[in-house]
Amino acid sequence: MDSSRDDEKLATALQELRPTPREEFAAELDERAAAGFPRHSRLGGLLERLRSTPPRKVLLPVGALAATVLVLGVVVAGVNSGGGDSAEQSNLPFLSGAAAEEEAESGGGEATTASQEATTESLESSAGDEAASGASAPSSSGSAAATGTSKRSIERSAEIEIGTAPAEVSDAASRVSAIVHANRGIVQRSSLDEDDGEARAEFELLIPSGKLGDALAEFSELGDVLSRNEATADITAPTVSTAERLQDSRARIDSLLGQLADATTEAERETVEAELRAERRHAARLRARLADLKRRANLSRVSLRIVSDGGTASGSSWGVGDAFHDAGRLLAGAAAVAIVVLAVLAPVALLALLAWLLHRAWLRRARARALS
Amino acid sequence: MNQALVAAAEEAPREADLAFECLYRANRDDVYAYAAGLLRDRAAAEEVTATAFERAYRKRSRFDPGRGEPRAWLFGIARNAALDELRRRGRHAELAADPADLLAERPDQSAEQAERRLALAAALATLDPRERELIALKFFAGLSNQEIAAVTAVSESNAGTRLHRAVTKLREACDGLL
Repeated sequence: MDSSRDDEKLATALQELRPTPREEFAAELDERAAAGFPRHSRLGGLLERLRSTPPRKVLLPVGALAATVLVLGVVVAGVNSGGGDSAEQSNLPFLSGAAAEEEAESGGGEATTASQEATTESLESSAGDEAASGASAPSSSGSAAATGTSKRSIERSAEIEIGTAPAEVSDAASRVSAIVHANRGIVQRSSLDEDDGEARAEFELLIPSGKLGDALAEFSELGDVLSRNEATADITAPTVSTAERLQDSRARIDSLLGQLADATTEAERETVEAELRAERRHAARLRARLADLKRRANLSRVSLRIVSDGGTASGSSWGVGDAFHDAGRLLAGAAAVAIVVLAVLAPVALLALLAWLLHRAWLRRARARALS
Repeated sequence: MNQALVAAAEEAPREADLAFECLYRANRDDVYAYAAGLLRDRAAAEEVTATAFERAYRKRSRFDPGRGEPRAWLFGIARNAALDELRRRGRHAELAADPADLLAERPDQSAEQAERRLALAAALATLDPRERELIALKFFAGLSNQEIAAVTAVSESNAGTRLHRAVTKLREACDGLL
């Protein structure tokens, strides 16, 4: 009972002690509330806060921000310079498997920059030069790759789709053969389908890399170019590596021949001959691989399609099908841009979210500490 | 009342302004009393009160009636502003000004009453900041235990227990002076 009365007295005393705001302050706050708490200028407020913040508290976040920007820059640079491997596999269907194999065989960690780039027609002029360098086989010495002064061994490929009138597909197909032969190329596979006024011809070609640009230009004149993609892959490292291994193998064979000549017993001779047979098989495999690599550098693969479906022969008008086709390409382009933008923004947004969450957690703890 | 008014913030800006004005009018002195009771510094309390209402005004459209009463929401903002002030000053609810500044003598009070006020103020100063905050929320700002629980992010029973302990400690500190 007494305790309850004491509590009541205490409550009354506390309420009497209740602080009340000064009239001037209350009037000023009322004015600000009536005006909707007008903001001071953001810049002014920021400068004021910066001025009132101790330098050590400014330097830490600024340093952290600078470090984050630096790390992001390094990551982006790393992605740009070293991110070609996976792209190659997805964009270069008939090179990816072989290139990956070569890379694996060359030890993986070597400077195998199997960079590939999808090029447009505007890059065509430089294609001839690169192809020329690709056509030159690497020296058998591996030092060239190490010094970086030798010509690179470049594998090239292209895909081109030509649209033409159905009646002209057959004629265009025959002109393809003429173009290939004129450029000293090889037709690996060809097919021509004609059905109900629609026609389609497909070719798999090997064109000397030095003449790839000329050949593609001539193919482009067969009709309307519906699509054209070119890709390159640097196979210098696997080529040099294979050449080095072949050289080593040859030296090993010479050494074994010497040992065979010096062999005094039958058993010793048999052992050396067995090793010699194995080494010769190994050298043969390396020679074949090196020849394949040289061929890939010298001859570019071209996949050519001539279609009438959706293709616009000269003189024909632009129709609904073309509109759909163009719309599809536009959408695909927009989607590609959106993906790139997303790829850039997503990590930044994630970092910002993480920073915000960390800041919130830190602030909560700091506020809790303020009362302890 | 406040809840309904503030809840309309997103739908009708004018109504939201009116709602906020009601909230402001009803709580201006309470927020100040809480801040002054916790900080024991008139200037700091004024700064915190102004900051709290400004922040609340900016965030009024984000108020979610489903998550609590507007009054508790407002005091949550005021509490954060007060704790930020404590943190910024790098001290823990220490005296920044003469308590007498907050407890200015009233002309209608007798010397005995004035002495009791000073004794109570001195007893309040012996409480730790957490306890003083509870006293300020309950007796200066007039919050219910449920609202105190919402503001301090503890359960209602926990808030009640802590408040009871703080009151007991304060009563003992007064030691028959009241």
